[in-house]
Amino acid sequence: MTQGLPLTLGTEPVGKLLRQYAIPAIIAMTASSLYNMVDRIFIGQGVSALAISGLAVTFPLMNLAAAFGSLVGVGASTLISVKLGQRDYKTAQQVLGNVLVLNTIIGVVFMVFALLFLNPILFFFGASEQTIGYARDYMIIILLGNPITHIYLGLNSVLRSAGHPQKAMYATIMTVVLNSILDPLFIFGFKWGIQGAAIATILSQLVALMWQFKLFSNKDELLHFHRGIFHLKRRIVFDSLAIGMAPFMMNLAACFIVILINNGLKNHGGDLAIGAYGIVNSVAFLFVMIVMGLNQGMQPIAGYNYGALQMNRVLEVLRKTIFYATLITTVGFLAGELIPRLIVRIFTPDETLMDLAVYGMRITVMFFPFVGFQMVVSNFFQSIGMAKKAIFLSLTRQVIFLIPFLLILPHFFGITGVWASLPAADFVAFVVSAIMLVIQIKKFKAQYALQIAEK
Amino acid sequence: MILNIGRQLGSGGREVAKRLAQELNMNYFDKEILLLAAKDSGICAEMFERVDECAEKSGGFWGLHVPWNSYLPFVSGLTNDALFKIQSDVIRREAEKHDCVFVGRCADYILRERQDCLNVFLMADKHDRIARIMQHYDFDEKQSEERMRKSDKERAAYYDFYTDKSWGVASSYDLCLNTSICGIDGAVKTIKDFLLYKK
Repeated sequence: MTQGLPLTLGTEPVGKLLRQYAIPAIIAMTASSLYNMVDRIFIGQGVSALAISGLAVTFPLMNLAAAFGSLVGVGASTLISVKLGQRDYKTAQQVLGNVLVLNTIIGVVFMVFALLFLNPILFFFGASEQTIGYARDYMIIILLGNPITHIYLGLNSVLRSAGHPQKAMYATIMTVVLNSILDPLFIFGFKWGIQGAAIATILSQLVALMWQFKLFSNKDELLHFHRGIFHLKRRIVFDSLAIGMAPFMMNLAACFIVILINNGLKNHGGDLAIGAYGIVNSVAFLFVMIVMGLNQGMQPIAGYNYGALQMNRVLEVLRKTIFYATLITTVGFLAGELIPRLIVRIFTPDETLMDLAVYGMRITVMFFPFVGFQMVVSNFFQSIGMAKKAIFLSLTRQVIFLIPFLLILPHFFGITGVWASLPAADFVAFVVSAIMLVIQIKKFKAQYALQIAEK
Repeated sequence: MILNIGRQLGSGGREVAKRLAQELNMNYFDKEILLLAAKDSGICAEMFERVDECAEKSGGFWGLHVPWNSYLPFVSGLTNDALFKIQSDVIRREAEKHDCVFVGRCADYILRERQDCLNVFLMADKHDRIARIMQHYDFDEKQSEERMRKSDKERAAYYDFYTDKSWGVASSYDLCLNTSICGIDGAVKTIKDFLLYKK
């Protein structure tokens, strides 16, 4: 596994490679988006419409928790990849130990602070007197389990970089399946309400965590727990945090955006509008995650062939990925425009909430066919080593253009303005990414004209 | 026998390494590593040169490292880490095949498991370094100083990130020499003498 380059990346048919690399990633991504969706479905069906709003109010806080949770994990897994590539098992082990300790510390500190200021935080994130009860019930349990979540997420990224991407995927799928079994049991069976969903979430992560512990306790594993790896080393801590900072900031931005959306919806449409966003977001997210999986499949192929100067293969994989991504988001668009009520019904039996969500869904997915293209282009820049352009592009859709729209449009169009900000940002981001891609391809063609002409 | 030579830009490291390789009949690798890595991987040499001995020049987010999440190179595309991995494999393979002198590229760290390595670091006084850089790159004094400062920063970031040691700090090496004092000839002679202890 460590030896040899996947030279096939430069020779095998592009379509075959794309399937080979993308399908596992798509499965993993779909699984993790189903995870959140399941909670929302059971809460909507089993508790009440307002409970969905209460749940949606907690998203920014969940995002924030995820931001801190991935802060260490992402950086550490990069470090481990590098160290394993150098067969420096000693340092790789220490990184593993450090991840465990750091994530425990961050998880506990975050838990304590969030619990102490839970009410003001939730009100700031869009809660009202009607929804805060649900939000608190749910969040208290999630926060108490926060150290478990953090350690689980951290170990999962380590597992992925330690040469067991499939086991990391099993862990994710395990939590999804368990959560889907426990949710109805706790909500319908035990009548635990929204707390049941939270308990199911934490319990399923706990089970996955135990399995991870079992894997990492195996002495035959390259990386395993043993004494002496748990001392925090300044170098490891610093490097992990430095690498994790970029994704951390992106997560932080995501949290900020949801706060803006929640508050906009609450002010212009009331509590149920927030719940409607929870539903719409859940559905949109599923399609976005599938495209992200597809993108992960594209990265090695585009990256390698760009390095090998096989520009025709680079453009081929780009074209194919854009095609599939557009196909996926167009399906999302059609579903959202043609059968929104059918989809929303899965989440709630409440007619008012359904109306709001259907209205929101129709607007949100308006420019969805372009979103696939935009996401692929942003990822394409990353895979050929132009990380700055990649990060800029992914920020355009979710932050740079979205924030002004969210601040301006609702003033004129009320709740419609809040919803419309999303497709508006999608569209502008699409235009920007198209321009940047055209310029880049022109550059390629000029630079590598000879090489392309030869083929 | 493997000689790993770390060096400041303008310290005359390359010349010393070349002479040592000649006189001791060893294979000399400086930028040659990049060419071999390119040939091995099918990636063009330009890509290796672009990221040669600097951590995240092409990419980076506010100067930070951008993550890639896998054991295999290229899973997140064309990253510095992936290229470094390929380069390391080449260095290891060449060291396996014959006696080598490696200049830079963290070879001392990559080959740390081998018993037959001698790790040397060469430095020089600022004045001499600038003079040498001026001559080599055809720069004026100000440009040279700029180049020197930048190179020190890049090499240190690169070395420190990949090795967990500190670039240019005595404890990272077996022997550190100031070529402003001993000159190129002196450095060659001293290293050869020092090698005797190793055997």
